[in-house]
Amino acid sequence: MKKMKRMISLMVTIVLMLSLAACGKSADDTSDGTNAITKTPEATQDKDSEEAEEPAEPREVELSIMMSFPQYMDQWETYCKQFEDKMLSEENIKVKINLEMPSSDQYDSVLQARLTGDDAPDLYTIHSNNIKTYNEAGYLTDLSSEALAGKIFDNVKKTVSVDEKLLALPIESTAWGVLYNKDIFEACGLQVPNTLDELNNVCKVLKEKGYTPFLLAYQEQWVPQLMTALSIGGKVSGELPDWLDRMYADNGSYSEISDIFGVIDVVMQNGTERAMEEGSEAGSADFANGKAAMYLQGTWASNTIITTNPEMNMGVYALPVNNNQASTLINLSTSTTLGVYPDSENLDIALKFANYVLDDKASSALFQGCGFNPIATVHDYETSSWVKEAYQYVEAGRSYQDLVLPNAVTDEQGKLLQEYYVGAVTKEEIIEALDAKFQEANKLSK
Amino acid sequence: MTKKRRENISLLLFVAPAFIVYFIFKLYPTFSGIYYSMTAWNGLSKNKQFIGLANFVEIFSDANFWKSMLFTSKYVIVMLVVANIIALCLAVAIESRSKARGIFRTLFCMPNMISMIIGGYMWNFIFTKVLYYLADHWGMTFLDKSWIGDPKYAFLAIIIVSSWGIVGYLMIIYMAALQGVPIHLIESASLDGATSWQSFRKITFPMIRHSLTICIFWTLNSMFQVFDVIYSLTGGGPGRATQSVAINIYEEAFTGNIRYGYATAKSMVLFLIVLMITVIQISVMKRKEQEL
Repeated sequence: MKKMKRMISLMVTIVLMLSLAACGKSADDTSDGTNAITKTPEATQDKDSEEAEEPAEPREVELSIMMSFPQYMDQWETYCKQFEDKMLSEENIKVKINLEMPSSDQYDSVLQARLTGDDAPDLYTIHSNNIKTYNEAGYLTDLSSEALAGKIFDNVKKTVSVDEKLLALPIESTAWGVLYNKDIFEACGLQVPNTLDELNNVCKVLKEKGYTPFLLAYQEQWVPQLMTALSIGGKVSGELPDWLDRMYADNGSYSEISDIFGVIDVVMQNGTERAMEEGSEAGSADFANGKAAMYLQGTWASNTIITTNPEMNMGVYALPVNNNQASTLINLSTSTTLGVYPDSENLDIALKFANYVLDDKASSALFQGCGFNPIATVHDYETSSWVKEAYQYVEAGRSYQDLVLPNAVTDEQGKLLQEYYVGAVTKEEIIEALDAKFQEANKLSK
Repeated sequence: MTKKRRENISLLLFVAPAFIVYFIFKLYPTFSGIYYSMTAWNGLSKNKQFIGLANFVEIFSDANFWKSMLFTSKYVIVMLVVANIIALCLAVAIESRSKARGIFRTLFCMPNMISMIIGGYMWNFIFTKVLYYLADHWGMTFLDKSWIGDPKYAFLAIIIVSSWGIVGYLMIIYMAALQGVPIHLIESASLDGATSWQSFRKITFPMIRHSLTICIFWTLNSMFQVFDVIYSLTGGGPGRATQSVAINIYEEAFTGNIRYGYATAKSMVLFLIVLMITVIQISVMKRKEQEL
């Protein structure tokens, strides 16, 4: 009897160990796949010598690509497959693409470890803010002379160029503000707000009709940070155009733009509960299901929202900072860009892939499928209604080019806003902390 | 002489495989870390600027680092008490059972086999979804707390998950010790009319003192380096309210200003603290061994 019990517990343990071992194995497999690049040339040579009779043996190439948006894994996998087929049929090159998409939280650290560890992916996405740093470290190829350079819109090209050199291929260029549920707005007879007073009124009416105005999802620090991105952007571009330059010259302060807290307070006080326990994806799903009328989140969340609720009738408006309409602006920015590693063993194929991303025929379907906005002349598709709504602001001149703050300051804003939400810091402490952080970043970048 | 030398060589050969692995993955990173901690490297650029001890000087005035150190110390002390008490109670409870010992032992030890990062995400789901469901639908309103957002409850959540993870391991050590307590001592005590509490306090506990020492130092050592539980549960937030030293180091190295050199200097400080604990541990255990 006792033996039997021992056997049972032993078996449970073994099953558990095996399942853990299985997990470990699959993880190893992926890392093997990426290491395999270095092995392929030998492997092909061996094959060639063995089967010398067959003349048209295709050249075998492995490309490793790392991207930071796992939510578009399906679209990009399909696109890579298309590229593999195209290369095989047109150029007799057998390309095998290893596409990796670590979660965006850890993406930068994974990428940096790979770059410094001599295990660099051939192509990788980086945020446009980081182009300069990566270029200085010698990790980007100049794409100015490639065919793709002629296709990108000029105003987008500016956001990814340093010293007139095109260093990365823009992928995601967005005009974004606040997402709102058009059906709820219609049911309440509301118009999109253009000033802070109007926003206050919108919140009041929504609450009277039994709706929660804002959806708050603050578990991940980058989400509350979007509030400072929009409010500082609007305030600075509308009223204090030299603020950022002065900040970089240690000659400015967040106290000059302290009225951004007006709108931040409105959002936080009129939001859903349990914000700290809500992740960004869960927030998108809840917004899609009508839990709140507005969601301070970029149009990049539209994929999740539309998947959750295909009937969703969504719009975008510019976040008002105060009662000055000149500061109520849409953010126009390039976030994700694709860079090519200059020391890649298969640089020619890597460049071919970069060009293929803006292929005359295939590119539109990819960009449309991911919900990205047109960034080049080859993109001739109908964009979704909310994107059009955002671009109406851009066409009316009511947009600003995304402000490039030091990364440390952006991170700090997210952290402090979390603390502000739970009541651990005051506005004055935030201003002081951000000023200090900005000066520290200035000092370190010298 | 030659015989002795040959013996030495063969001994070295036996040690070599383990030593080579140890050298490559432990010793080499440690010593290169000492070098990196004196540079202003950003983890990306190809030249590493040597700046001597400037990083260490800066640590002294780094408020966030010391705040995270304070948090870690608080965490270590609470874990030390909570985890060891639970583990000892469980060990005694299971050892005193005559039936189904193996099953309980396996059950309680299981969380220890799961990587804490997975455990952390599982518990994250429980704290942010399951508990609220219970509170909203089953009327268990005492669960309706901000488990991740309120620093007080976030700390509690971290303690719960960490204890869940390590108690099984400590329990096994205690159980091994309990099995070494001679049964005749306890029997004779009970014949003399000792209650079970008295015989635990006067006989069992002194006999398992050495395992207590091991467990305490093991908890001290490993809890000072806590990272995965907090990373997957609260991410150090809200803000920096639940940031441990290891998370602070990770942030310094991989986010914000990306200061590898400075982060390595911080981890050197953490290393020194853990080293100190280990040295004390070894000397204390040596003394204990001589007493026995």
